[in-house]
Amino acid sequence: MSNQHLLTILALSLVTSTFLNGCATLNKDHVQFSQLSDCPKFTVEKLTAEQAKLGPMTDTHTLACALDFLRNSKDPTLKRSALGSRLALNLAERETDQDSREKLAGEGVGLAEAALAAGGEGDGAVHYFLAANLGLAVRDHPTLALDNLKRLEQEMKKAMELTPDLDSGGPSRLLGTLYSKAPAWPDGIGDRDKGVELLAQAVNKFPNHPLNHLFYAEALLAADDNGAAEKAKAQFSIGEKLLAQGNWGYSKPSWEKEFADLRDEIGDIPSNTSQSAVANNKK
Amino acid sequence: MKKFYLFLLASLLNPLSAFAAADAPIIVCYPGGPVNAKDANAAMGSMLRVVERVGQWPAGSLNSIFTAKADECRTLMDDNNPKFVITSLGIFLEQRDKHHLVPLVQPTIKGRTSEQYRVVTQQGKYGSITDLKGKTLGGTVLDEPDFIGKIVFAGKYKPDTYFQLQPTNQAIRALRSLDKGELDAVMLNEQQYNGLASLNLKAPVEAVFTSEEIPLMGMVADSKLSTTEERTRLGNALAGMCADAEGKKLCELFGVDTFAVVEPSQYDAMVKLWKKGK
Repeated sequence: MSNQHLLTILALSLVTSTFLNGCATLNKDHVQFSQLSDCPKFTVEKLTAEQAKLGPMTDTHTLACALDFLRNSKDPTLKRSALGSRLALNLAERETDQDSREKLAGEGVGLAEAALAAGGEGDGAVHYFLAANLGLAVRDHPTLALDNLKRLEQEMKKAMELTPDLDSGGPSRLLGTLYSKAPAWPDGIGDRDKGVELLAQAVNKFPNHPLNHLFYAEALLAADDNGAAEKAKAQFSIGEKLLAQGNWGYSKPSWEKEFADLRDEIGDIPSNTSQSAVANNKK
Repeated sequence: MKKFYLFLLASLLNPLSAFAAADAPIIVCYPGGPVNAKDANAAMGSMLRVVERVGQWPAGSLNSIFTAKADECRTLMDDNNPKFVITSLGIFLEQRDKHHLVPLVQPTIKGRTSEQYRVVTQQGKYGSITDLKGKTLGGTVLDEPDFIGKIVFAGKYKPDTYFQLQPTNQAIRALRSLDKGELDAVMLNEQQYNGLASLNLKAPVEAVFTSEEIPLMGMVADSKLSTTEERTRLGNALAGMCADAEGKKLCELFGVDTFAVVEPSQYDAMVKLWKKGK
């Protein structure tokens, strides 16, 4: 019997999602931040000047303050920029509560859409953070994810075209991962070979970013070629070492979780064979 | 959509759990599929947990084991002696006597309960399948060479000696290799063949072989380990699924028109062909 019909988690979890979530939609409600009265005094000029410093190394309170300022700002330059979407993504990534995380990511999508509408179409960062937020917002809602696959692909491609080096190869990293995990032809846009190729590019060009190695390892496992397990293990180890040794700020805990999720799978793979496809779903 | 509907079947086992909580796991086999075990594991687990919740059975009472490899499927069946198996037609035919398997449920997809397999080549390169003797044949469907030889080729060609087989878990990769001339031919199932137009291959392809109609396979049961009541109950539940409000959504998502309790005699021709090929 043929088995081209995809069994990725997206496809499989479609069922789960249908039962659990019904017809979910992107949640763009704002998360209400506390202690905003303690915020640093932001102005449009100050935020514009210091926006590059706001990122993984910035404490959560300051990021929340900056996002709150943006929510209430009508400054066209800020509105057109990727800053709001990037702030939302940084906050979402470190948020442990799923509902809040999805709201922040959904807000990030909305801010990027507003930036595009305000003339930010030519800014690759806007497309990149739109895609990253969208991916995060739908990752636990596979029906939504399936509905947004084409859009994710388009935004990531646009980001690759405009700013391929952003976030240490972020556009290649995201697009490669999308191709590795999405339902494959003839069911969907997934393409394991393309995924491996894009992630290999990201690793070669930006070998110091742990996630490039982690996602490359996952893509290698998904492609399941001869020797894939060995290569994946090697990439995983490099990424793990980079994560442990580098200063990744507030991103580190969520990345550690990503690594932990793959570690069990990597550990189960015999080193001299291809990936076992046996899985027991007993809780 | 075949693989999708098989998983759909796997998610609908709640009627079983009332009497099967302590039973052997349901074995789910998808030989040749591009499957990440971790993803499959997580998804199957999630689905079964949902099924338990929807069916109000105790959490964790359902258990299944998934594999995408034919060899592992055989081992799992031997080791676990399952009452129910969601499997390919090839595995069913091969394990039928050993595990006393009887077909339970069959899907209808786009109005059809059968499919055809095709061998495609670059247009004009080979005139017929006999021209492919000794040539390379790729595809995702080659993980079960006995099935291909006895059923798809109806015993006319033994794939592992007639061709140089190059199985893959990615149909698109095989077709790209065909396009580049690295492969001489690719075997495709119905869905893959119908999806060719979307690939924009540089070299047009043509089918040099088309199989007879081959019935779709769904769930089978071990007739000695399962009771008639269990088979009837599960079969009826699955057959009513696409008429159910939630089940209908799933059926639509997986492109399945309906599931129907199937008369084992519908596979008699396949059984005969299989035996003839021995």
